[in-house]
Amino acid sequence: MPAADVEVLYTQLRRRMMESGEWDHIQSILTAKLNESGWLDEVKDGSKEKARVMEPLSFQQLFEETTSKIASEIPLSIKREIMSHIRQYIIGQTA
Amino acid sequence: MVHEAVECTHIGSLLEEQESEDALLTKLKTVVAWNVNRYQSVKNPAKRRKIAFPACGTCGLSLSRPFSCLNCSYIGCWSEDHVSSHLSDEGHTFCADVKSGSVFCSECDDFIYDPRIDDAYVTAVITAEERQTKFQVAKKPRESFKPWIPNAKEAAALEGATATPCQGRRGLLNLGQTCFLNVVLQCLVHNPLLRNYFLGDKHNSKQCKIEENCTCCEMDKLFSEIYSDDTSPYGPITFLATTWRASAELSGYAQQDAHECFISVLNQIHSTSRGSTNVSCNCIIHSTFAGQLQSDVKCERCGNVTSTVDPMLDISLELKAKGGEIISGENTLAACLRRFTQPEKLGAKDYSCDKCGKVSHGASKRLSIRKLPPVLSFQFKRFEHKTADKSSARKIDAPIRFPSSLNMAPFTTVAMRETEKDSGGAAPSYPGPDAMYEYDLFAVINHEGQINNGHYTNFARFQDEWYRFDDDKVTHSSLGTCLKSAAYMCFYVKRHLDYKPYVTPSYVLMRETEAVREKELEKEKEAARMKEVEDALLATV
Repeated sequence: MPAADVEVLYTQLRRRMMESGEWDHIQSILTAKLNESGWLDEVKDGSKEKARVMEPLSFQQLFEETTSKIASEIPLSIKREIMSHIRQYIIGQTA
Repeated sequence: MVHEAVECTHIGSLLEEQESEDALLTKLKTVVAWNVNRYQSVKNPAKRRKIAFPACGTCGLSLSRPFSCLNCSYIGCWSEDHVSSHLSDEGHTFCADVKSGSVFCSECDDFIYDPRIDDAYVTAVITAEERQTKFQVAKKPRESFKPWIPNAKEAAALEGATATPCQGRRGLLNLGQTCFLNVVLQCLVHNPLLRNYFLGDKHNSKQCKIEENCTCCEMDKLFSEIYSDDTSPYGPITFLATTWRASAELSGYAQQDAHECFISVLNQIHSTSRGSTNVSCNCIIHSTFAGQLQSDVKCERCGNVTSTVDPMLDISLELKAKGGEIISGENTLAACLRRFTQPEKLGAKDYSCDKCGKVSHGASKRLSIRKLPPVLSFQFKRFEHKTADKSSARKIDAPIRFPSSLNMAPFTTVAMRETEKDSGGAAPSYPGPDAMYEYDLFAVINHEGQINNGHYTNFARFQDEWYRFDDDKVTHSSLGTCLKSAAYMCFYVKRHLDYKPYVTPSYVLMRETEAVREKELEKEKEAARMKEVEDALLATV
């Protein structure tokens, strides 16, 4: 599928997912799991303690340093589960 | 390491002008309220029309985390500099993250802070949440939060007063194996509702009518000591003595269980509170800690459900399964709560149904939280007593992971009922807003060692900073350190309090009725006396 078409499809699916409430539903499942695994608190505490000693304090630097590594620290089981939710939705929409 | 707060002069000058201040804050409040309402309509399938989601003004994607320009109607993504490019292209200065209310200044090229902005954000969120809350009982509307504005008399009284910071920290001396009491006291002192009650002079130990053994007076004195200028460690000698006299089981020089002490102190504060009652009490303890547990017993044969409601001051969580083995796998607070609320089979011989009478199929029992208290206290049952003799007890050391924020919705009666009704994986809907179910950790009690030669320490939070307390030693700590510690008890406070309309306490009403009745009696007596005098006079004529 040409890249431009993929982008159009992505935009449409994303809009439909949000308007139907599915996006927020999956987001709340994700948040609950990330909280229970301790990932949310690690990001919160890690970035706060980093900011405490950062000189000069810069949001941009803190944002970049934090976001560059947190995605890799999400437990695999959570990633798989959320991907499967998303996949199921897309299959349902494009069948 | 302490940064000097750098002020954004751009927001400062804008907020000086009434008109531009109104425009900015109104815009901010509108977008923040929109965001709060969006989550609610998503949760309620009955109300769910197609929700219109804003699309980024630059790339057209539907935005899950919109940033709103505070100068015009542009909304966009933070990523790829969409919104900041808009700001520089149009010469607009400020934009805001609608979820957190964080305001970004393009001139400073940074997020900025101003108390007026924080105020506007909190007000907008609370107002939007209040409008969404429908109480189950009698569909009464939720009482709106009204900030306190001093009247003329109060303002005059404040004129000469010195403002004291609302934070106080002081170590507590170990008076001989009393660390169990010290950790309980620190957790009570750092409890925002108890702190506000006692700092608000609601139980003045100098005016209290109770002659001796008043634990409320001891709490009042403790707060005075902790919030005094003296930072040297304090020895809670009279508190300990009062606790001994009130609770024989806690007396003696041996180490005691902090949870037993906690419950005992709560009961002592309750019984020495003015106007406390045995049923539906609204003393400071019950207002703070009292929740309700519902137990539903379902007959396996006919499906008839019998529900009982019991009061609770805290939740004790088992660390062992029925068979006696220590739980493996998920060692989290949420997992403990799931086990707490899972259906449990009742033996056939223990149950007979009111409706169908058959005893053969047995029943299942399920616990759920019917009413959430403002402060939730959890205890992990680490000490198992093999026999009645405490000295042969064993300690379960398995660490349990607990979060800094907790959403209690899945464990409430109202949400569990919805989930049962609904089949399939659709989003369960329960009365919102979510904030009513969200709690933040503020204190943790730790125990290290074995039962007979262990030591209690605790963590407690003030606003965003965490501190560690080890009897007389108080040190600054971090959230991470607290979360890595082995917890015995955890204390959570509701993020936003929900108020119901003020009702005059029953003991005040009774007092007023008594006063009225006494006046009536006096009048009658006086009239009777006057009549006697008259009769006597007439008799002499």
